[in-house]
Amino acid sequence: MTATVPLRAEGVAPQATGPTLGARAVGGLLEPLIFIVIAMLVALAEYVVAGPIRDFPVSNFWLAFVLLALADAWTWPQSQTMMGTLTGQYIATTNGEAATPLVIAVRQLARFGVLYGVPVLALEFDLVWAVAIWLICGAIVWRTPGRRAPWDLVADTVPVTGIGAVGQVELPVLRSAADLQLDPRRTSQDAMAGRLMFLAGLVSVVISALIVWNIFREAWAFVAADEFSWGLLKGRGWFPRRGEFDVGTLLVGTLWVTGIAMLVAVPVGLGVAFYLSEYAPPRLRRFVKPLIETLASIPSVVIGFFAISFITPTVLSRLFDDIAFQSVLAAGVGVGVLTVPIIASISEDAMRAVPMELREASYGLGGRKVTTALRVVFPAALSGISAAIIVAISRAVGETMVVFIAAGLTGIFNTNPLDPGQTITGAMASLGAGTDEVAGSGIAFQSLYFLGAVLFTLTMLLNIVSDVIVRRFRQVY
Amino acid sequence: MALTEPTTSSRRGIDFEALKARRGADIPGQIFYGVILAGVAVAFFMVGAVVWDVIDKSWVIVSDRFWNFLTSASSSDPAKAGVVQGIRGSLLIAGIVFLSFPIGISAAIYLEEYAEDNWASRLIQVTVRNLAGVPSIVYGLLGLAVFVQSLRGITGGSSVLAGGITIAVLVLPIVVITSAEAVRAVPASLREGAYGLGATKWEVIRTQIVPAAMPGILTGTVLAIGRALGEAAPLLVIGAVGWYTTGNNDFLDQLQGAFTALPMNITYFARDVAEIWSPHAAASSLVLLLLVFFVNLVAIVARARISKKLGR
Repeated sequence: MTATVPLRAEGVAPQATGPTLGARAVGGLLEPLIFIVIAMLVALAEYVVAGPIRDFPVSNFWLAFVLLALADAWTWPQSQTMMGTLTGQYIATTNGEAATPLVIAVRQLARFGVLYGVPVLALEFDLVWAVAIWLICGAIVWRTPGRRAPWDLVADTVPVTGIGAVGQVELPVLRSAADLQLDPRRTSQDAMAGRLMFLAGLVSVVISALIVWNIFREAWAFVAADEFSWGLLKGRGWFPRRGEFDVGTLLVGTLWVTGIAMLVAVPVGLGVAFYLSEYAPPRLRRFVKPLIETLASIPSVVIGFFAISFITPTVLSRLFDDIAFQSVLAAGVGVGVLTVPIIASISEDAMRAVPMELREASYGLGGRKVTTALRVVFPAALSGISAAIIVAISRAVGETMVVFIAAGLTGIFNTNPLDPGQTITGAMASLGAGTDEVAGSGIAFQSLYFLGAVLFTLTMLLNIVSDVIVRRFRQVY
Repeated sequence: MALTEPTTSSRRGIDFEALKARRGADIPGQIFYGVILAGVAVAFFMVGAVVWDVIDKSWVIVSDRFWNFLTSASSSDPAKAGVVQGIRGSLLIAGIVFLSFPIGISAAIYLEEYAEDNWASRLIQVTVRNLAGVPSIVYGLLGLAVFVQSLRGITGGSSVLAGGITIAVLVLPIVVITSAEAVRAVPASLREGAYGLGATKWEVIRTQIVPAAMPGILTGTVLAIGRALGEAAPLLVIGAVGWYTTGNNDFLDQLQGAFTALPMNITYFARDVAEIWSPHAAASSLVLLLLVFFVNLVAIVARARISKKLGR
């Protein structure tokens, strides 16, 4: 048994109310993004098939417009467009009938042309023309009664929030809440939203694939190059432009920086975590916690500057007489400052997750506060704490700017932390900073990707280890 | 002796003072507390020293010509050089990053509300977690290979467009993870109530979950903007310049031409061994810190207002 349920009161002419401001905002953000994504996907396909594209064909965009206009006309139910299914908007003709697919196709094509085709034209010609066309369109909108959009004028349509006498839908008589699910307008909206969100989720997979593909392809090109031999990876130092790629130099530098950083960050970070989780009265906690967040929000370039303008001259030069202006030690301490908040916040979370009962049991047995903290809370939170330290190590290995500013970057093999040194990230940054000179000079430039592959693998392994530790040793209370 | 009569008891119960006195002073406890307090003090010192150092070293410029420093272009003359191009570049990058938020938030909602336990959603989950741990300079390599070289036609090479997209890709996992946490924290009762009234999944998300998770989502996006403002390593690899003297007028030229950003300015000012540019490095660090703190402040205020509106 079915009954005819109009979405709007029967006989009422379509009202040009249009969607709400919020729905307009969603549409306004998503629609151009969809075009950019489609055009980029086409370009990526070309890139995978034919290699690097020197000149991005603008025709990709026109293709995207036509594709989406056709999809809008024939895919979506009930005279809706893709955005309409999200915003609850329908297209009606001016005499109050639901728009046919052909009318919708014309309207959408005109709409995409005006809204997005014009900026694409500007890419090819000049911004002045784009602005002029938009101004003319704006004037047309201004002059027409009801301020109708140019694309609605072209196709003679009106956007409405519901379709009246003509757009009646067959709906079952509602008996329970579940029957509401059968409303085709709402279910199509729902399905559309779900698909879009899944696509958004896939973006991160695409990014990962692109990272792995590009880095390892170029790294392979480095290893497979004619000038390359494995003997080059062992030498007097890291001098890519002279064809000397002693990776050992970089590994030693990275080890020093990471080790020094952990010497600084582990005690301080754990101290803060113990204080926040076990000792701090609530009032002080509210004061110390934002402080750690402040430290976390300081950009690494600023810490890099801090390392050579404060850490070396004010702190380290008092302890070590012969420290250089830029040194591995200063870079290590700077990276340590950066990683304190990581260790503090992850360890604190782990300690706070230890249930109160364990502490109470310890106190009940006569345990002191220090005993409870060190012998009960610490072991129970150990998996979280070690994960925190490993995440911090991974961050320290990958930290670039502090090293680039403060470590000095000489490629000479060096084990003295008081002298300038070079790390994996530092070497990558120096290669990257000189990108324009090295580009095309083949093997030196590709060593950048080789180092990237080493770094990517290293940090990925560390992250996996921390994940495994958390999962295997996590105690479920 | 009856169990109900403890030996060391006054009328009020156990005499804790007497117990404590018998045990003597808690020396290990005092030492441990001292060590912990020292750790907190060092953390305080770090924050204080960074802020003090930046203000102290930049005082020459801040007290003399701060406005001039903010509004002039880069120059080889230390008395005239400014960071207006860096500020413009950083703000443009932040604007481009802003465009990636709908994608990140949608992905978070997918992971929390839609994903069933199948290989596709597990793949997404694993890649998001791994991407969050990838060093920022590796994103620079991605940007160099894809956005600078392959898509040169759109981005115009080493441009603010390429840099902005790279940084947007870099902060995407942060947005996804923090937004997912916010969505997870929405009480199930809200969801069940809306479903009970016959709402579809999308309606539940739009009317209940997103508004309720808004404070948390906002925090995540602000963290991401803060990170985007301070990130320099990918820009370095992409080929942002430390400073340049020609001014670009056309907006399209600005998007596709050579660019710099505040962190790049700081890098090149700071790496000068002769320390002529040291005050400039400090002053641009100060500008960057102020920008980041301002963004965080906006988030705190917005979060407080939204929470108040939601009555929580």
